[in-house]
Amino acid sequence: MGNPLFETALKELQERTEDIRPSDVILFSEPLRSALNFVIRLKRFSLTEFGEQLPFTREEVKQLADLLVKRNLFELSRFATEEEPYYNARLSALTRPLTRPPSDIWKKID
Amino acid sequence: MSKIISVHSFRGGTGKSNTTANIAALLAMDGARVGVVDTDIASPGIHVLFNLDESDMDHSLNDYLWGKCTIEEAAQDVTGHVGTEIKGQIFLIPSSIKAGEIARILREGYDVGLLNDGFRDVIEKMKLDYLMIDTHPGLNEETLLSIAISNALIIIMRPDQQDYQGTAVTVDVAKKLDVPKMLIMVNKTPATWDFNEVRARVEQTYDATVGAVLPHSDEMMMLASSGIFSVQYPDHIVTKGLRNIVDQIK
Repeated sequence: MGNPLFETALKELQERTEDIRPSDVILFSEPLRSALNFVIRLKRFSLTEFGEQLPFTREEVKQLADLLVKRNLFELSRFATEEEPYYNARLSALTRPLTRPPSDIWKKID
Repeated sequence: MSKIISVHSFRGGTGKSNTTANIAALLAMDGARVGVVDTDIASPGIHVLFNLDESDMDHSLNDYLWGKCTIEEAAQDVTGHVGTEIKGQIFLIPSSIKAGEIARILREGYDVGLLNDGFRDVIEKMKLDYLMIDTHPGLNEETLLSIAISNALIIIMRPDQQDYQGTAVTVDVAKKLDVPKMLIMVNKTPATWDFNEVRARVEQTYDATVGAVLPHSDEMMMLASSGIFSVQYPDHIVTKGLRNIVDQIK
């Protein structure tokens, strides 16, 4: 049987269809949320450093990192090598133009 | 290592910009290179405290967000505007105070990722020791971004029923974003109140550290944002409280 914490984190990322916004980070379950908070403040970090924040195998951590690249929270750094991927964490989101409906930020926070 | 410090309040009118400007000045007086970014794009104001006129603004944060300049080009050296000898330096990145430009950015929106990039770039390129972010009141994607990347967060509240609930939300979000250092500053407290009791009650309510309880100050009101309070009143109890905050975030 797999690690239930990993399965939860994986599911949360797989279910996302849009890029990860600042207001999404607070919704992730632990230990994913704290690990993301940590690397977002670091900005540039290695897969090993990300993995040190998570009680998962390196393969599991890589699987999460790949999904985070897909959702544009991580981007592969030019320092990355085959043995040791390096990433940049970049939070992003569009502010709300007046022509668009409000985001569900309050629903998220509640 | 450089530190990013966000100053936030859930409601407007709490003294957020004043506090940001004073803390920046106190850090610079101690020899630090300090950047200050006015991200309150909808209602900018901190430039007034640094006596920066519209005519002095070659570029603004808006120009950077529209790709018209680099973030360093939008940074104005306001060290000489503070009104006392300063060992360090202060650079202000103001938001535009032109009505049309404010309206445009509200109408079109912008990618807060550019703020993220700009904060990192200005720290690196201007070799800043501290970057202070004067945020927009309330919670939105921009303020969450600022909190998420900050090393320290100062949450300002007044002892007012309207501030209590909003401050609880902000504290909760900051905890979820694991801000390494979070301080609450209670501002504009009636001078007749027991400050120790206010501090204890706020700390108990929010389970967070109170950096300072500052009194309502007539001198501050009379200064009316025409300068930096801690420079003009270095021995005032408000300045001492602000100095306490500075010591805790250093």
